[in-house]
Amino acid sequence: MTATIPELETAIDRLLLADANALDSKDMPGWLANYAEEDQASYYCRAAENTEHNLELGFMFDDCRARLEDRVTYVNEIWAGTFQDYRTRHFVQRVSHRQVDARTVEVVSNFSVFMTPMDAGVTQVLAAGRYLDTMRLSDDGGAKLLSRRAELDTSVLPRYLVYPI
Amino acid sequence: MADVTLTWPKNYNEVPKAAFTRSDLYADEIKRIFHGPEWHPIAHESELPNPGDFKTMRMAGIPLLISRDEAGVVRVFYNACSHRSNQLETAVMGNKTEFECPYHRWLFNAKGDLVGCPNPREFLPGFDKADYPLGQPRFELFYGLIFVTFSAETEPLDEFLGEAGETLRELMAGDGRLKLLGYQKVRYDSNWKGYNDNDGYHAPLLHAAFKMLNWQGGKGRQYTCTKRGHVCFESALSVASGPSVLKDKELIAFKGQDPSVGSRIVQLFPTFVSTKHLDVINLRFATPVDAETTEVHYAYFAHQDDDAEMVRHRLRQSSNLLGPCGLISMEDASIFHRIHIGSHTPGNAIFQKGVRDPGKLESEFLQNDESGNLPRWEYYRSAMGFERAEA
Ligand code: FES
Ligand SMILES: [Fe+2]
Repeated sequence: MTATIPELETAIDRLLLADANALDSKDMPGWLANYAEEDQASYYCRAAENTEHNLELGFMFDDCRARLEDRVTYVNEIWAGTFQDYRTRHFVQRVSHRQVDARTVEVVSNFSVFMTPMDAGVTQVLAAGRYLDTMRLSDDGGAKLLSRRAELDTSVLPRYLVYPI
Repeated sequence: MADVTLTWPKNYNEVPKAAFTRSDLYADEIKRIFHGPEWHPIAHESELPNPGDFKTMRMAGIPLLISRDEAGVVRVFYNACSHRSNQLETAVMGNKTEFECPYHRWLFNAKGDLVGCPNPREFLPGFDKADYPLGQPRFELFYGLIFVTFSAETEPLDEFLGEAGETLRELMAGDGRLKLLGYQKVRYDSNWKGYNDNDGYHAPLLHAAFKMLNWQGGKGRQYTCTKRGHVCFESALSVASGPSVLKDKELIAFKGQDPSVGSRIVQLFPTFVSTKHLDVINLRFATPVDAETTEVHYAYFAHQDDDAEMVRHRLRQSSNLLGPCGLISMEDASIFHRIHIGSHTPGNAIFQKGVRDPGKLESEFLQNDESGNLPRWEYYRSAMGFERAEA
């Protein structure tokens, strides 16, 4: 299937917003459902500062589908009840995309994430940066994340992270 | 005579909560401890492996520039121009063999010499470039780990480390020949003592992961050394067995050698924590930002002799296991914040586990004892000049 540019942009934006919505709803299975059902589906979160100096280490290094599934377990089971919970609001804006082949598109978007700790109730910026995504397009016109790199401008986080960015 | 006073309880196992929260102590702590006779690790030389590599950071507010010159020699400078003290380098890392201050264009080489400045004829009579190198704090290297001190009084580094030096050497892969994997940097809403009192090792009750992964703690030794109460742990590495909730078991796999003492922690007064656990080698450079904020740079390393597969394994394990969102340490980060909030209440924090006699300090502990922190508190008390209440 060859999508027109408006169709492609709609598919991309739907996925970007579905991911923001899942994260802000703390719906970890919903977050996982935005990733392609392929073994190499991946999510990385790291400071852009590391990337710029060829340092691959990050805050989260989920380089396979099994690790994405494990992250759902970290949040929903292993860590439950041990941290100060916080709300997040993700603001995402697509800035460019490039179709690689009929099934694959690379997308760059900006994000900013506000955080409001439940105990203190004072909102602050948690992180700003870019998502560098590779998306899989399906025949029905939908898109899933094959790989996402959340590259943080925020090289010093203002807080520990529970949820993916 | 202390500039500020705080009466300390008579029992060694009690710490006044006010020590975490009284903001009037902070300026005195900076003067007596951070700018006083203590050594502070600020980098490992493997973070700047090539000629011209540099790193900048701030320790207790003091801006530092660590650079490697063309001949490979590492030096520590104040990151401030020797003219009017403009911050010299703004990048946190990079490669340069010359540093130019843009304000009045003074130019320094990687040895810190002032090599050029425009129009010196208009300067003070007798002005000589040789009198204006970059300023330097005292620094020493220990298996590549770079320490600074801002006091002329501090004893030599070997003496400061004492027995902890041996554990620290072993923690840094035995020879300190490390290779940088990257950083996780974070600020905690915690006084520096709240961070240091709760980072490093603590009893595993906090971490559900250990139970859910069938991961029992190995048997080990906890000891403190020197008058500062540096805390060291050496324990057998236990590897999780039995059913696990994890689909990717590599996260907690051990691929190194030497499981008999595969887990080590060294915590040096005042803020440094380092750990080698499974195949993770992690040095945590921590500094107070203000009385309620501590910034921690978690630096992770491989060994120079690792093959590509081992580097990859360390990268995957280091990113997800420890640090401010690690499987078995995210909860620690939340404790730093919560201890800080909870300490804004009257009275003392009372240590229990491992305390046999509240009137005595010991130096050998069981792995899960919380009493290992007490010698360090005693040193803090004396460094601050606080009186202990009469028995
Ligand atoms: S302050 Fe740097 S050249 Fe004047
Ligand atoms: Fe812990």
